Amino acid sequence: MRQRLLARASLRHLGSHPWLTALSLLGIALGVAVVVSIDLANTSAMRAFERSTDTVAGRATHQFVGGPAGLPESVYRDLRLLPGAPVSAPVVEGHVRAKGGDQRTLTLLGVDPFAESPFRSYVPGSGGGVDLGAFLTEPGAVILTQRTARALGVKAGDPLEVGVEGVEKRLRVVALLQPGDEGSARAMESLVLTDISTAQEVLGQVGRLSRIDLKLPDGEAGEARLESLRPLLPEGAEVVRPRARGNAVEQMTRAFRTNLTALSLLALVVGTFLIYNTMTFSVVQRREQLGRLRAVGITRRELFSLVLGEAAVLGVVGTVAGLLLGVLMGRGLVELVTRTLNDLYLVVSVRGLTLEPFTLMKGVLLGLGATLAAALLPAWEAARSAPAVTLRRSTLEDVSRHRAPRLALLGLLVLALGVGLLSLPTPELLPAYGGLFSVLLGAALLVPWLTAKLAGMAAGPLGRPFGLVGRMAARGVTSNLSRTAVALAALMVAVATTVGVGLMVTSFRGTVADWLESSLQADVYVSPPSLVTRRGGATFVPELAEHLRATPGVASSSTLRTVQVRVEGVPTDVRAVDFGGTPVRPYRFKEGDPERTWKELEAPDAVLVSEPFAFHRRVGVGGTVELATDKGPRRFRVVGVYFDYGSDTGTLLMLRDTYLRHFDDPRVSGVALYAAPGQDVDALVARVRERAGNAQALDIRSNRALREMSLEVFDRTFTITHVLRLLAVGVAFIGVLSALMALQLERARELAVLRATGLTPRQLWSLVSLQTGLLGLLAGLFALPLGVGLAYVLVHVINQRSFGWTLRLLVSTDVLLQALVLALSAAALAGLYPSWKMSRANPALALREE
Amino acid sequence: MSPAQPVVEIHDVSKSYTEGDAVREVLSNVRLTLHAGEFVVLLGRSGSGKSTLLNLISGIDLPSRGTVRVAGRELVTLSEHERTLLRRERIGFIFQAFNLLPTLTVEENILLPLELTGREGPTSRNRVRNLLDTVGLGTRAASFPDRLSGGEQQRVAVARALAHAPPLLLADEPTGNLDEQTGRKVLDLLEGLTRREKACALIVTHDPGLVARADRVLSLETGRLLERKARA
Repeated sequence: MRQRLLARASLRHLGSHPWLTALSLLGIALGVAVVVSIDLANTSAMRAFERSTDTVAGRATHQFVGGPAGLPESVYRDLRLLPGAPVSAPVVEGHVRAKGGDQRTLTLLGVDPFAESPFRSYVPGSGGGVDLGAFLTEPGAVILTQRTARALGVKAGDPLEVGVEGVEKRLRVVALLQPGDEGSARAMESLVLTDISTAQEVLGQVGRLSRIDLKLPDGEAGEARLESLRPLLPEGAEVVRPRARGNAVEQMTRAFRTNLTALSLLALVVGTFLIYNTMTFSVVQRREQLGRLRAVGITRRELFSLVLGEAAVLGVVGTVAGLLLGVLMGRGLVELVTRTLNDLYLVVSVRGLTLEPFTLMKGVLLGLGATLAAALLPAWEAARSAPAVTLRRSTLEDVSRHRAPRLALLGLLVLALGVGLLSLPTPELLPAYGGLFSVLLGAALLVPWLTAKLAGMAAGPLGRPFGLVGRMAARGVTSNLSRTAVALAALMVAVATTVGVGLMVTSFRGTVADWLESSLQADVYVSPPSLVTRRGGATFVPELAEHLRATPGVASSSTLRTVQVRVEGVPTDVRAVDFGGTPVRPYRFKEGDPERTWKELEAPDAVLVSEPFAFHRRVGVGGTVELATDKGPRRFRVVGVYFDYGSDTGTLLMLRDTYLRHFDDPRVSGVALYAAPGQDVDALVARVRERAGNAQALDIRSNRALREMSLEVFDRTFTITHVLRLLAVGVAFIGVLSALMALQLERARELAVLRATGLTPRQLWSLVSLQTGLLGLLAGLFALPLGVGLAYVLVHVINQRSFGWTLRLLVSTDVLLQALVLALSAAALAGLYPSWKMSRANPALALREE
Repeated sequence: MSPAQPVVEIHDVSKSYTEGDAVREVLSNVRLTLHAGEFVVLLGRSGSGKSTLLNLISGIDLPSRGTVRVAGRELVTLSEHERTLLRRERIGFIFQAFNLLPTLTVEENILLPLELTGREGPTSRNRVRNLLDTVGLGTRAASFPDRLSGGEQQRVAVARALAHAPPLLLADEPTGNLDEQTGRKVLDLLEGLTRREKACALIVTHDPGLVARADRVLSLETGRLLERKARA
């Protein structure tokens, strides 16, 4: 190991700047932690969903499934009566919310215990320790695991209160299961077993089954057997493989998860810039020393390895810290991700973090990879150091200043490349992220030239109020360009990221608020509570909707049925709307004449699709989509594309008449009431509440309350983005702090000379503060246009390509001001320590330490 | 390298730099041969090309014309990497500003060239200890350079330059940052050690005191090398 001593020297160099090293480590650690925590939260949620899907699917190879209303029970009976009937089991499945304990959402699984043993071994059969008699005969009898019972605060024999779409049901725990291993216990921790008839009664599916599980042999024999069973399927039913359900959910939530990952990677990009700053700084700081090492015979390769080695040490330590921090943060984020998934997509109950080795590996690779990638350029710079006896600092700064215009030109080229990549007419995200990175890099390359120009211009204005100290502060920025430009570039990127993400969220919120304004036009909205907030698929008990529509003071009303239907094989939310007598049509179309579109929608095979649906499924006006209706697969014509920010996977809309023609489902999920002229809305809400009675808990909201609630859900779904932005702000703050502190600490000798020549501690403090303040201001100013550009890309390119939404970019002055405050306050803080240290230090010692 | 072979051979070397449209010749037709054991002083005013000549001999820079041989190897024919390795093996450097590595102890600084040339182990450690005793810093082995005075730092630099027993020692104004008395001590040491190690030393200096003790004195004037004092 030829470089043992050099490596030792490097390590001591890191150790001799503990603050800077610690801040660099924190930068890496935070970057890695953000990525790891988001990934852990995402995968934990997905694994929890897979576990629950696998648990309820058991060992079924195929499933008979029906439309929204499920399958008639008769299908199962016919199946069992077939000669040589296949192994099969009926299932009724739905979600209920526990009223007690931790109020978790439970999967209610209605099964026939005598048909279960080939499918779900945990279901007690005859001969087990469970009293099957009570299970089958007692009304509302259910079985849970001991762990679930503990969480719900019940024991065997206790009643279990649950809510189903606003209706309270009383079940009774007749037995508790003790799963044999931890995996099974986790898989079953949100499961409630009951018999078929109880499940049908509780879930309002009397006479219907959710599906029939089948166990068929593999290969051709199985396929042949399946073909022979197909004639049993009623219209609208089909055969699916259990895995398809998990895949559909995976697909449905992919854009959401991809975007979270992308945002977390943005934090890592900021972290990478900070590492780049640290490493470049460390090289620039020692350039003369490196030049002399070259003179005494250290080869380029050795210097290159030396700097990369330093980076690797930082990378390893930072990454390990990042992994630990990531796991800690993941525990908090998994709740946010779960809540967002439950608000937007599906019912999933995640208990605890699933530590995926792959995620941790990814964190290690990203942390080390990003650190080493960030150190490549500084290492190359170090290796290029001329073996020099005579190279002087002033020469270095001359080179930096002369190089600035060329770098700026290169920056413009890289910016142009970035814009080119972003303009590519492709729906792919990779070129968009490539373009985004090029824009950041291009802007960073412009910084030295801009800094030289602007700081030069600042000398005069600073000189007037602060005299020589002011002029020195401004000139110090240009005369140390090789250092200040690197720090400023890193700061600009860090601050711009917070601006970009902040403006993206503000724009999104503004667009949604506008959309809510135009789409919520009724005075009162009534719906049963739904487990997935945004989807709203819960239905009224029979007759209640009509009863509410007839409330005195209601001039007109409309109804909505939201139901999940397989569209081109993918479960999709379909909305069936009945506008009643109201002329209001609260939908805006992306293209075409609205009047003509509404007219065309009256055709029996016409549907509207939302903008994200049109984007994801590549279908527009004039195209067709196939729906799995209760009457079998049917093709529908798309007659319009409407704006909708409620679902990123897309929705379909049809008139209720069209829906009833194809689906055996008269239920209603929501009612919108329009008050008669002069009718007080609050009084109407009270009257509706009174008429609703106690049969079903309902959400009854005025227009304003619903709008507020919708924005609240929006904000909740963006909580995780806010958290990520805060983390990016944290990383940026650390970046500003470490870069500026490094800059000032590195000037210790220069400051000592000034102290020695008579500068008072107060003047020294002014000089350092003015300079860091100027740098903070420049970083903030550079970051604003870049941040707005970044927001433009996030809003119009990344979001568009991820979700298909048309958003309006809103440039909020609050976000811009926050960025300036962030840069300036970090700058002020960064100046404190060096000026305090230098004002207390003995100038003679500082001079000698060089 | 045979004992009779010169350590450095320079033939008709010129070096020019382009400054804008103008070409400035810093060295012009320089010829020089240095042998093992010679203690040579190079004088010259600022900007006369002394450092350029050191750069050419050490392979840091290449001549515009002419040839430079060090230890029998023609530098122009070597790659940058090979020139670096040659410098590492065959040349010791002493700088005006000492340039010790601040993050290595005194002992480690001296050990560095030995480690770089693959000579680690007890023998090397003994040599370092001997050198430290010779330069009078045997008790400061574990100190870091910033705890040493300028004279002490330059003594460490001398020991470091000679640690791997290079046949050629190049020194660029080694006493430039020291007071007269300390400078004299360092020069005593430098001369003593160079002669003991039978190395060839080329020392750039303004110090007239050194002229008397040099075997040869060279001077650079407007790019031309003149021999002021030849070896007896």
